[in-house]
Amino acid sequence: MARLVLRGFLQRKLRVALTAIAIALGVALMAGTYILTDTINQSFAGIFKTAAKGDSVVVSPSEALGSRTQTETSPITEQMLARVRSTPGVAQAAGGIFTEGTFLDTKRKRLTSGHSPGFISAVVPPRFESFKPVKGHLPSQANEVAIDEATAERKDVKIGQQIIVAGRAAARQYTVVGVIKFASGESFGGAGVALLTLSEAQRVVGEPGRFDQIDVAAAPGVSDEQLRAHIRAVLPRTVDVRTGTQQAEKNTSNLEENLSFLRTFLLVFAYIALVVGAFIIFNTFSITIAQRTREFALLRMLGASRRQIMQTVIGEGLLLGVLGAVLGLFAGIGLAPALDQLFKLFGADIPDNGTVLETRTIVVSLAIGIVVTVLAGLPSALRATRVPPIAAMREGVEIPPRQALTRGRYAVPILMALIAIRLIVAIANHEGTGTIVIIAAIGVLIAAVRLRQRARGRNYRVVPFLARVIGVLVTWRGITGVLARENTIRQPGRTMVTAAALTIGIALVAFISVFAAGVKSTINQTVSRSFAGNLIVENSQNSEEHGIPTGVAQAVAKVPGVARVTPFAFAIGRVKGTSSNAVLTAVEPSTFASVYRIEWASGSSETTLSSLNDGTVVVKKAFAKSNHIAVGQTISVLTPTTKTVSLRVVGIVKESFGLLQDLTITRTLADSSFGLREDALDFVSYAPGASNAQVQPAVDRLLDAQFPQARSRTSDQFRKEKSEQINSVLALIYVLLALSVIVSLFGIVNTLILSIYERTRELGMMRAIGTSRRQVRQMIRYESVITALIGGVFGLVIGLVAAIIVAVWPLSGSGYLLTIPVGTLIVLLVIAAIAGLLAAQLPARRAAKLNVLDALAAD
Amino acid sequence: MEYASSANTAQAIVEAESLSRRYGEGEAAVDALSDVTVGFPASRFAAIMGPSGSGKSTLMHILAGLDRPSSGTVRLGDVELGGLDDKRLTDLRRDRIGFIFQTFNLLPVLNAEENILLPLSIAGRKPDREWFERLIETVGITDRLSHRPAELSGGQQQRVAVARALVSRPDVVFADEPTGNLDSKASNDVLELLRGAVDDFNQTVVMVTHDAHAASFADRLLVLADGRITHDSPSVSSDEALDLMKSIG
Repeated sequence: MARLVLRGFLQRKLRVALTAIAIALGVALMAGTYILTDTINQSFAGIFKTAAKGDSVVVSPSEALGSRTQTETSPITEQMLARVRSTPGVAQAAGGIFTEGTFLDTKRKRLTSGHSPGFISAVVPPRFESFKPVKGHLPSQANEVAIDEATAERKDVKIGQQIIVAGRAAARQYTVVGVIKFASGESFGGAGVALLTLSEAQRVVGEPGRFDQIDVAAAPGVSDEQLRAHIRAVLPRTVDVRTGTQQAEKNTSNLEENLSFLRTFLLVFAYIALVVGAFIIFNTFSITIAQRTREFALLRMLGASRRQIMQTVIGEGLLLGVLGAVLGLFAGIGLAPALDQLFKLFGADIPDNGTVLETRTIVVSLAIGIVVTVLAGLPSALRATRVPPIAAMREGVEIPPRQALTRGRYAVPILMALIAIRLIVAIANHEGTGTIVIIAAIGVLIAAVRLRQRARGRNYRVVPFLARVIGVLVTWRGITGVLARENTIRQPGRTMVTAAALTIGIALVAFISVFAAGVKSTINQTVSRSFAGNLIVENSQNSEEHGIPTGVAQAVAKVPGVARVTPFAFAIGRVKGTSSNAVLTAVEPSTFASVYRIEWASGSSETTLSSLNDGTVVVKKAFAKSNHIAVGQTISVLTPTTKTVSLRVVGIVKESFGLLQDLTITRTLADSSFGLREDALDFVSYAPGASNAQVQPAVDRLLDAQFPQARSRTSDQFRKEKSEQINSVLALIYVLLALSVIVSLFGIVNTLILSIYERTRELGMMRAIGTSRRQVRQMIRYESVITALIGGVFGLVIGLVAAIIVAVWPLSGSGYLLTIPVGTLIVLLVIAAIAGLLAAQLPARRAAKLNVLDALAAD
Repeated sequence: MEYASSANTAQAIVEAESLSRRYGEGEAAVDALSDVTVGFPASRFAAIMGPSGSGKSTLMHILAGLDRPSSGTVRLGDVELGGLDDKRLTDLRRDRIGFIFQTFNLLPVLNAEENILLPLSIAGRKPDREWFERLIETVGITDRLSHRPAELSGGQQQRVAVARALVSRPDVVFADEPTGNLDSKASNDVLELLRGAVDDFNQTVVMVTHDAHAASFADRLLVLADGRITHDSPSVSSDEALDLMKSIG
């Protein structure tokens, strides 16, 4: 029997190859994701290890509310450093700085690329220094800087040149005196490092007299752990004390946690591609089993048992799975750098030194590829066992349907519901990738079997109906169009399942594009409804993590024509009695209402907001509701600096997608108790009579000179920018979803080839009575386009309905504006049609090439 | 009638000269046809018989432009087939040749009417309604036009196929074992139709058959054996034809 499997395989090389690719693409994305993220992890682990090289003990800010954000001031002071230095067993201790900043050339062009960060660091004593000069020397004067080799090469920065380093103080120019390199030689990816003298670094990052960490070296004979205990005893709880090794591990695990988002994000697309692949394998198997009825009947007549027939088919599935999975794994090794490039294209240049292929990657990729394939072939294997031996003698013997699945009317829906629940539970519990994929595959399989069964039923009219409607597009071209349409209706189940594979990809794209269109119009509406000022000043590296120096507000306020500047910032805190962090907005109570319109549920801008002080708070309605907070009540909030503040609730706002977050406090309270050291945005309003044409350029000139990391935006510019940001995320998602669409194309190719094979004699007759090769090709292409458009229409409807459900149910009352991007959806259908045309190329050529006489003789 | 003129001329409408067809190469080569020269006059019904492997199907395939000879020439009317590329050959089959197959070969997705009109649809031509009405009346499927092949009996399907072969009024109709899959009643119906096509519509029909009874409907009987024509005469009764076949073995 094993030989039979192998023989059959070799005879159907093309089909095997196409089907194997269907599964290989999903496996490739999965393997590629693991390889890429493992590589990044390992690269960072290496970097962190080098960074902690000379450290026996490291003192760093504690993370009372989870990981620290850039907007907080470090709690590590000079006094703490002095205390560490006087601790017995300390040979040497030094404070260091490592904070994100902005590097520009004198023409204000950024030296780091895309969204990659630039780090400002300070020179530390040699035993702690992780950088070594490649050219020149490390800075020793306040006006000197050393820059990392990669950045220097990328932007051709030479020693002696002037560059600007901007942090949280007014920017200054520095002379490049050295080009540095990480001691162990690892690349930082797109990130850059500018090394300044300690006091200058402290000034630039807005932390005079403070450090981001303290490096400590132990005296001979003192163990790291002993020293850690000594230092821990003399420092407050606002800081953490770890040994060098612990610190490197902690940094690595922090990073892995952050990176796990990336991994999950990419794996989702791999799962989708695998599900689509499973559909295709299921469909291919069920078509070929029907075509091979005679072969199985003959085997049965010759005495093969049902079990042996089943083993034959499962054996084929296994072989196919192994082939696809191995192919996928190798493709994944190639795909990992491609994914990295993709992220680079979208502005994220992440360090990746070498290629890390873990055993886990190999095992998981192979196992999932094989299991999904075998599972997808299982229904067909079972069906093959029901071929009656008489079919070998007689033509047109049908395989009897199985009782169990057709009998219980509600059995399948209930089963599907159970699987769906199980799947949600699995995802919610962060169960293994394998478990999730296998549960999903079983669900998809049952759905596919059901779909085919339903489609075989007489009452199933959806496919014929859609084919007739869509067929109008091609039937005007004459008989080839009519035949193409009729051929798609011939086996509605087959067409349905083939189309369904494409439906998955199209539905997701449609859902995401509708959802994103809604987000864009919601932002547009919110900005135009709420923003009453003239300009917004923000960091030119636009992202939530990058703020602007607090000095910007005062400086811009002095520009002629500017009446008022009100700074605005975000912070985090935890309300006592709740389990997760709340996001806080910090405002200037006296001026904020003049630039931002607030919808109040309780209170008003005139009285409540303007009287907001360091002991009071305004709460967002949704947050108040879910945490049972009422006006007049006092809440305790734990701040990132481990303080606890008591705040009396004075008002409730109805804000939804606007700026105001869970809690709104004063800017001064944020400074004093939340360690805030920068603003998120500044709102600028003009004096009466001032025109934008005069004031904005003046503001820009000021920013250019003193704060080159900031820029001004009118509300229109701001809205456009937000749309562009969403578009760039959308583009990335589309690229990744394209893989599933490509997988489904292989499904269409496969189905067409198999259908053409079944219709060989028909094609022979048509060619004999004078159908040209061109007409044959046309017919196949039209058939493919109709199938693809059926998938496209289903996808569009499902995506649209899902987006509407999300808008009217989970997001109802949130102010989310449902917007249907009609243009995008039409383009999506056109893409589906083009995809159909592409998929038809190979089958159409094969059909046209058929030898007429051979085709006529085919059975 | 336009067919009258071609009927009067005794000149062959299809003519083959020194046809040879060899399959394979070297020692395994098989000669399916060896130096066959034959002509088929217009408005005549010819039957080609011969045992399996005699070359009768090969001859018909070459005459119909479905296969090319290893040597020799085929002429249809004033056209030399050897000089045509695939595209022209396809157009020639579409416009000037009709086909009837043993297995009917109707398209299951089209109904009887659409199947009959298929050659015209492929050519993108409008049917001559009068001719179409006459055809379907003759083949007797007027009340079955909207049925699909699966809803028709074998005899009905083959009658639809005959109408399809005649709808474009081709120069010649090639029938390959047209009664091979039919019972005797249905066979007779189909053979009567072919006979009528020649007598009433002045069609030219060339039929390949195993069946001596079928051959007896023709005007002329050709017998092939081992790639050569061994007998060529006016038609004979089915018993005589049977004897003739037995004599070749």
